[in-house]
Amino acid sequence: MSFVVARALGLVTVQDLGRPGWMHEAVPPGGALVRDRLIAANRAVANPDGAPAIEVLGELVIHAERALEVATDTAAARTLAAGDELIVASEPRRVAYLAIRGGIAAPLMFGGHSALLCAGLGGLIRAGQRFDSAALAPVAPPRASTASPSSPRAQRSADPPIRLPAPPPIQLVDGPDPESFTPEALSVLLSSEYRILPSSNRVGTRLDGPALPRTGAPEVSRPMVIGAIEVPRDGKPIVLGPEHPTTGGYPIVAVVASADLGRLFSIRPGGTVRFTR
Amino acid sequence: MADWTPLGDRAIRFARPDRSARALVRAVRAWPGVVDVVVARSEVAAYFDGAPRIAPEQLRALATAPDDPTPVRDHELRAVYNGPDLDDVAQATGRHPDDVRALHAAATYTVETMGFSPGFAYMVGLSPALELPRRTTPRTRVPAGSIAIAGLQTAVYPFDSPGGWHLIGSVVGVRMFGTDGPLLQLGDRVRFVP
Repeated sequence: MSFVVARALGLVTVQDLGRPGWMHEAVPPGGALVRDRLIAANRAVANPDGAPAIEVLGELVIHAERALEVATDTAAARTLAAGDELIVASEPRRVAYLAIRGGIAAPLMFGGHSALLCAGLGGLIRAGQRFDSAALAPVAPPRASTASPSSPRAQRSADPPIRLPAPPPIQLVDGPDPESFTPEALSVLLSSEYRILPSSNRVGTRLDGPALPRTGAPEVSRPMVIGAIEVPRDGKPIVLGPEHPTTGGYPIVAVVASADLGRLFSIRPGGTVRFTR
Repeated sequence: MADWTPLGDRAIRFARPDRSARALVRAVRAWPGVVDVVVARSEVAAYFDGAPRIAPEQLRALATAPDDPTPVRDHELRAVYNGPDLDDVAQATGRHPDDVRALHAAATYTVETMGFSPGFAYMVGLSPALELPRRTTPRTRVPAGSIAIAGLQTAVYPFDSPGGWHLIGSVVGVRMFGTDGPLLQLGDRVRFVP
């Protein structure tokens, strides 16, 4: 085997670019929460963009069992020697990706390799699990310079010290259900700061902030979409993620522009977000 | 009034034409750029690989979309009618629990829409004698395999999930969603066999 999981905390799963094409059977597209970062990690080890990699919302520690070329979405490719330990932590963001050269070997389930927790496909990665590369490309032994003499065997993945400037607000498209909201709802959403709640997962990103007032329009089960900001009766918005139900009864106040989905889903719980239209 | 509404910048939503879900899925999937379709009770959404490209004629043509020629599949699901709401349903409909069992098992159901959770099939064909509104308080956890009724519909929960329907039994010896995907598809006919 290529590596063994020493520790997995939080939501740690195998992900690729999902299974589009089955929403009519109530199967959401799934796939990486932040697609661009999965792609970045894969490209760093010369994998196809959609090769299975590991998505980490939390922390993952692996032990290499043989020489292994790996990359995260924030660090260049490197070679681990047998016995090396690698820590992949999503902090200070919400999510990190670990790619290995050749892609993670994962069973083909319903036409894809990614875990779809809402459909019981795949599952959370746990300590003790072993993984292999899908294509056992030979890896050159690590050069002597790979590990600096002073560093311990454990290497932290995400590296540059982060001092993020205030990011531009997240772009929205007007929602399809204006009759379900009072005229103030959109202005409240656009003028307030919302905090990402720790109860967020791959189904939805829950926001804490001023409630968005709804009218008494009835709830009707309607088609949903990733990025839809649905509003339950308590007025607290939920942004639908890759494992969202394909239909739902809560009205949609606005939809996150597809180009900004990754940026929104990269904000860690506790972080804040502003919206614009 | 526009014929359709944007659902974000890569999907549109429109009123459901009076056609079967199978016919609509087949027709909409044939549109250029469409990667996914969801047919709900009164609305349809089309999901594109980029900005939606849609002509009014495409929408109009859906009103006469031909039925999907692939044969409809038939399923017989083994059922045990021992659900926690069986007695309540009997009481609310003024019947003996045995009548509830017999009425539910006598009908042939058709998968009309799918949604809520992967592989969850809304089936029509329930006897009007068993029509009830949803439970006033939804359950936080309904076990996978539960046979449920609400309104004029029946369903089998594919996964443990919250749910507000009346649980009258469960299917045995079958998984509603496996590694091959969902057991039931749009248009399928289903009978429950006690």
